[in-house]
Amino acid sequence: MVRIEFNRLRFLVIDDNAHMRRILRTLLHGFGAREVYEAEDGASGLEAFTHYVPDIMIVDWAMPIFDGLELTQMIRQPGANANPYVAIIMLTGHSEKRRVIAARDAGITEFLAKPISAKGLYERIVNVVANPRPFIKTATYFGPDRRRLSNPSYIGPERRKGGVKAETIRQAPLLDKVRTQG
Amino acid sequence: MASARNTAAVRTMGDHEVIVPENKLRKAVSKEPFDPKDDPVARAEKALAELSGEFGSWMDSECDRLDAARNTVKSEGFDERNMEALFHAAHDLKGQAATFGFPAVASAADSLCRLIELTPDAKRIPGVLVDQHVDAVRAIYREYERSDAKELAKLLTRRLREVTDEFLIAENRDRPEVLEQIKSPSIVPQ
Repeated sequence: MVRIEFNRLRFLVIDDNAHMRRILRTLLHGFGAREVYEAEDGASGLEAFTHYVPDIMIVDWAMPIFDGLELTQMIRQPGANANPYVAIIMLTGHSEKRRVIAARDAGITEFLAKPISAKGLYERIVNVVANPRPFIKTATYFGPDRRRLSNPSYIGPERRKGGVKAETIRQAPLLDKVRTQG
Repeated sequence: MASARNTAAVRTMGDHEVIVPENKLRKAVSKEPFDPKDDPVARAEKALAELSGEFGSWMDSECDRLDAARNTVKSEGFDERNMEALFHAAHDLKGQAATFGFPAVASAADSLCRLIELTPDAKRIPGVLVDQHVDAVRAIYREYERSDAKELAKLLTRRLREVTDEFLIAENRDRPEVLEQIKSPSIVPQ
């Protein structure tokens, strides 16, 4: 199992509910994080993203001014800000399939349905740190590769054009890289 | 405070680009192996347990917020802003009740969320159905210490959901995609 040095990560929590922000802060500090910033709506969240340049954002869906989905779409604009590739974990009480798909198509990195658990949050953070996915840019999408699994027995239509190379580009697990370098 | 702009390796394919961004999170992967005696999840759970003394008062304030939103709807009407505030209060309870130690409250709050979200014209929502939901949420929370509280909550929520579904099915009779959603089972813990 990968060991994460949480004290080397900067978090931004964006949730309009003060109780949920407190819970997230408590969990992150419990993991060992030191830098945890907060914002209470989409607009101040975007400002905090620009100012603090977090490594990982934990974003609620339902928020005033603009919601977590709209915030994600604003951040996933190549060239428009310092880090359009920032890891975004969507934490939400919305857990219907259509919602999960909408969040995925907006460009979130991970989805975490409430009620929150320490284990669930930890697993999502480990995943974004240790198993980053390449980004895909098309005419209608910019975000982490939505294909998490390579299925050799897939027999449906190939929607991406340009050869199969795109399907085989993989990032070596970070742990392996670190071990090789060490 | 801002750090340097991220860089990325880009490969252009037929109709898309595959981009491998510089991985700035690499710095956080420790070279030390995972130590099960120093489990970060256990540490976080302990920290959350230490916070749990506050959860009762947090539930009080979330239930009061739901009640206030209901009263605003009743006094000012089912307009978009009022319904959004009511939905939001119910939605937060749905997501947080289990974390606060009151999982049986979540299902009643979820039923209210469905009622608001899936009704095409909010003005047609019966006020009494909103009242029943809000009163059920508050009652389940208030009586949580009873030995039969979870069983009663389950019965109450099931009945609320049946009545709500009956209303939603009638209101959405011309929207097959919504009907399918209404008839699918809840994934909120009972």
